[in-house]
Amino acid sequence: MKRTFAAPRLLLGARSLSGVSRATRDRMIELAARYHGPESLAVTLSKALDAGAEGILATPGPGLRAALRELKRTVPIAAVLPVLDEHERREVEPSLEALIRERFPQAGFAAKWRARFAGLGAGGDWSRLVPKLIELESGAVRRRELCAVVLAEPIADCALATGHSRLFARFIKFVHGRFRVPAGIETCNLGVLLSSLAEWEIAPDFIVGPVNPAGLGMKPDRDTLLAALRRSPVPVLATELRAGGTVPLAEGARFALESGARGLVPDLVDFEDVAGELKTLAG
Amino acid sequence: MMIDSTASAEISDRSASRTDTLRVAVVGLGARGIGHATALATIPGCELVGLADPRGAARRNLRGMGHTAPRYRRVEQMLEKTSPQAVFVSAPLPARAALARTALEQGCAVFLERPMATTAEQGAELVALAAEQGMPLAVAHTLAFEPVFDAARRAISSGALGKLSEARASMYASRVFSAREATRYAHGAAGGVLAHMSVDLLFVLGRMFGTPVEVRATASRLYGTLEDELHAMMTTEGGAEVGFDSSWSVPGHPYPATVIELAAERGHLLVSDDALELDLSEPSGGFPAGSTLRRIADLPQPARFDVSGEARWLEDAAFVAWVAGGSAPFNTGEAALQTQRVMEALYESAAAGGTSVSVAR
Repeated sequence: MKRTFAAPRLLLGARSLSGVSRATRDRMIELAARYHGPESLAVTLSKALDAGAEGILATPGPGLRAALRELKRTVPIAAVLPVLDEHERREVEPSLEALIRERFPQAGFAAKWRARFAGLGAGGDWSRLVPKLIELESGAVRRRELCAVVLAEPIADCALATGHSRLFARFIKFVHGRFRVPAGIETCNLGVLLSSLAEWEIAPDFIVGPVNPAGLGMKPDRDTLLAALRRSPVPVLATELRAGGTVPLAEGARFALESGARGLVPDLVDFEDVAGELKTLAG
Repeated sequence: MMIDSTASAEISDRSASRTDTLRVAVVGLGARGIGHATALATIPGCELVGLADPRGAARRNLRGMGHTAPRYRRVEQMLEKTSPQAVFVSAPLPARAALARTALEQGCAVFLERPMATTAEQGAELVALAAEQGMPLAVAHTLAFEPVFDAARRAISSGALGKLSEARASMYASRVFSAREATRYAHGAAGGVLAHMSVDLLFVLGRMFGTPVEVRATASRLYGTLEDELHAMMTTEGGAEVGFDSSWSVPGHPYPATVIELAAERGHLLVSDDALELDLSEPSGGFPAGSTLRRIADLPQPARFDVSGEARWLEDAAFVAWVAGGSAPFNTGEAALQTQRVMEALYESAAAGGTSVSVAR
């Protein structure tokens, strides 16, 4: 029998720590300052789990790893991979071969060993290189912490633009087979991705993308996205709930769920009081 | 009157309604080239027919990403084999003008990364060649396509603020903290923060206040041979002073920050990456007296596909619409040439220790 993977319903987003957010610049800087040290992030993560978050959606960068080391408990991580820092996301061509070369020396022995076979005969094909890169980077999260693997938005959206359906299919198969956790896809083009996946008959376990009353970041446009969301068989976890800070979190969350989102990913940048507000959302 | 970006919405509508197919190609497959290829793959009525880059790894990367267009090492070969109607040139600055010239001579419309050439003279030659060939020529000034900056420009054009008294503009980022990083951004070309980052802001200021007649500038080299900071005062035709500060070596700016603030006869305007704030002493130009705030979520976002935001898609779609017979966008080669001339005057002034330099017309 084919194993099914359940999508989470409530994750705390920490993507803003990697620069992925439409919040104002001042707010982002405030956030970076607040979570500069690992202790404050560790405390917040712990409070978030107590308040009902099922895990954290984050890039497993050095900041997150340091925070996790501070904690005595296991924090489920929906790891957004490949890891692309702000500079790599904005300025450098996302050449996967170059990233693999860069990540290779940093990976552990076992990851290197497995990665050697993961991308055999790839010839530059992203559908084969993405698993190889994820293999090399997966060591950043301990297996017992890994609750999902989410394909990072710059890679997903480049492949979406070209209609590279094989990349999505292989990614899902790889994550299920290798890590036995749900496979998610992060996107800035949610409506386009939902329609394309339906056409290709590809079903990840969940998709993470913007849904908010203001329509901020909702592509190709608000109405098309909402229509696609309502008929999507794939669970969508909504991000950018506060539309860059223009709507209250509770209102954004209500709108997303009423529009058909199956789960929520409020980000650290959206909260004034993480524990209190998350508890309300979880309830 | 609404503060909006109707021009951007028009670009999106025009793209969506086109039924003919335009053959386009991309030369230079670095980050910018990938951005163009991604946007072009999602613009209705566009067919990506060729990709060119001398680097095998870059060509392989585009193929691996899913682009099926044929790939070429040499641009001449690509032009001959694929006969594109429009070519997006994203090659490093030293090669840019020559590649654009080749494409124009082959009868292609050309979209160039900014700055368009290493010198204004070279830029002027391209503009003249495009005119001679009757071909559209445009230059990437993506910041001007950001809905919030476009909305600010519209508010100024509406005349709501009256005569400009003074303005200040800045663009800061935490990008370069070593000579190696500076070289990486500059791709071995001359010019530092101004040529490779804040020339976009210069273009936006030109759209808002017109081409300055005179400039004074000072530059600092913190990490290498290229300028990491540039400070300038520019005098507009109407006599107003526009301050200009840019640096890519400022700590505490993990996210690039652009701000334009101005004082005018009837009030103030402040626009940043996040919002537009207008404060008027009396109702004017369709705006009420007092404060008007428009955050990015309040403005239209007409791009049909997010390519690191709204602006890149809108800019490419506007050029494609022009080549397909629509009206010219505001970032024509001629408009960009004016910005190039201002940039050259700023460098000349900085090299002379901040003396006044007239901007060539």
